[in-house]
Amino acid sequence: MIQVSALTKTFKDKKRGLVRAVDGVSFTCAPGEVYGLLGPNGAGKTTTLRLLSTALRPEAGTAVINGVDVSENPQKVRSQIGFLSGNTGLYGRLTPMEMVSYFGRLYGMNTSLIKERMDRIFSMLDMHSFAGRRCEKLSTGMKQKVSIARSVIHDPPAMIFDEPTTGLDVISSRTIVEFIRQCRKEGKTVIFSTHIMSEARRLCDKVGIIHKGKMYADGTIDEILTQAGCDNLEDAFIKIVGE
Amino acid sequence: MQISNVATIFKKEITDTLRDRRTLIFMLLVPLVAIPGLMMGMSKLMISQISRVEQESSRVAVIGQEHLPEDLKAAISESSNLEVYYYVGSEEEEQTRALTEGEIDVLIVVPDSFATLIETEQPSTIAVKYDQAEIRSEKAEERLEKILQDYQDKLVLNRLTQRDISAGILEPFDIELEDVAPMQKLVGERLGAMLPYLIIIMCFMGAMYPAIDLAAGEKERGTLETLLISPATRGEFVIGKYLVIVTTSAIAALLSLGSLVFSMTYMVDQLVAQLGTMMTLELEPKTVLLVLLVILPLIGIFAGVLLSVSIFARSFKEAQSYITVLNMAIILPAFVSILPGFELDYTFAVIPVINVSMIMKEAIAGSILWHYVFVALLSNSVFAVLSLLFCRKWFERESVIFRM
Repeated sequence: MIQVSALTKTFKDKKRGLVRAVDGVSFTCAPGEVYGLLGPNGAGKTTTLRLLSTALRPEAGTAVINGVDVSENPQKVRSQIGFLSGNTGLYGRLTPMEMVSYFGRLYGMNTSLIKERMDRIFSMLDMHSFAGRRCEKLSTGMKQKVSIARSVIHDPPAMIFDEPTTGLDVISSRTIVEFIRQCRKEGKTVIFSTHIMSEARRLCDKVGIIHKGKMYADGTIDEILTQAGCDNLEDAFIKIVGE
Repeated sequence: MQISNVATIFKKEITDTLRDRRTLIFMLLVPLVAIPGLMMGMSKLMISQISRVEQESSRVAVIGQEHLPEDLKAAISESSNLEVYYYVGSEEEEQTRALTEGEIDVLIVVPDSFATLIETEQPSTIAVKYDQAEIRSEKAEERLEKILQDYQDKLVLNRLTQRDISAGILEPFDIELEDVAPMQKLVGERLGAMLPYLIIIMCFMGAMYPAIDLAAGEKERGTLETLLISPATRGEFVIGKYLVIVTTSAIAALLSLGSLVFSMTYMVDQLVAQLGTMMTLELEPKTVLLVLLVILPLIGIFAGVLLSVSIFARSFKEAQSYITVLNMAIILPAFVSILPGFELDYTFAVIPVINVSMIMKEAIAGSILWHYVFVALLSNSVFAVLSLLFCRKWFERESVIFRM
């Protein structure tokens, strides 16, 4: 369960001065649900997700993940979430096996648990054939699978995806989409950001429309469409943000 | 702070780093191949230069040979390592030009009626022109001066004998000079001065690439964020990464020290064997241990500073350009140790890099000044800890980690 209420974050920018990247954003996402944050580039999606993942500290408002507040106990929140973004990279000189078990240990898992989890994940994603090769030698699709394995090695109850399909080809995107569905089936709480409306439509149970740091609408896709009086998400989006 | 987390991070980073070709070049290839290669090449070149000048005869131009006393003329022309050419007085200008252009090595101008003046015991001057900037010309002057000096001594002796005076009157007593500087110190001053400079640079080089890769590299690959949201703390990451940089730098320093001592000993042996110069280079185990002791806190400073710069940079390239500037700031103070006239004092003992380079220079020359060593160790350790704390501060700053 992820509960976000009135989350706020400002940055100092040389040109623009103080910028409210996230301005009072609130939403909730229950286990077994996929929540989509929809918005154009620069809307504040990444910053919101970084606040949830504890990479950044909120200035005001709260986010509670599985009952733990990100401001009060960020350390504990970290073991509750898996994080994957379109531009997270790999250690080129390590093998997928070394890479994934490194993160397993960082999450405090013991060797036998790591081995067991890793074996299961590698089978699920069909990774055994390249598990011992250096990451720099892998294809984009293989790399993506290593990133996925890394993000779930500690079996987190909540998953955060920040534009996970950006820059990927059709096949690799599909792997990610399948994986998100799998997470939902396993009863994980999934938050997912994108600027691609069709992707949101296919995957999300609920969506939030975010623009210039503010949440403009929040609900199921049908609710959003009804609210805007449109029959597709793209038109609804444009109408709601009023541009 | 959990030791097990630091150990996990250290183990991963050292594996990763040791697979990086750039790191290996500076950590292994430069100390083990490039340094001895350069040193041996240098000694070969030096020896061949010196022995060539030694073997070749010097070209001497004499103007006014008709004024030379017969026996002096004979001594010059019969000398085996001189090649003598005679010219008339009007050619002096042309021969001076020939000397500056290196066509001849030395020019003697004998004044008019020089032989008569000698004969009648009147004062006179013989001019010897040479070019001190040319090693060949210097050698020629040295050879010629010896002949002239011998001739002069002979004349004095003759004149004294004619007057029935004992030659002993010229030297009422002997002065016996004894140089108490140990051989070690003499060589230490010259050859040894290079050693601290090279070792300090190698420490820096050994730390450089891992430092760039471990922070700026993580940003560039997009792996930094995944680390920051893992349960390991930022302090644990900083310590783990810091220790990896210290390790590679220490390995580079250790290998360079070994390889420098080995190749410098080889160089000295060659010079002694080929040229018969009097020099030795002996490093006592005590000296080597001291070098290692003083270098360690310095490595600690390098690691902290480099890691801070690296985490601040947005990319690998940006880190590299900052570090190029930093490199100059390290090399220049290290170079001070080579300059003669700089003496270690309490002010220098407090300044990182300079203190280490001077202590090492002194130690190689045979003297260990423990009070300065203590001050330097203390000062450098404080700076190392400060740099590490600063690193951690920057790893915790959002504006540094997510610098746009």
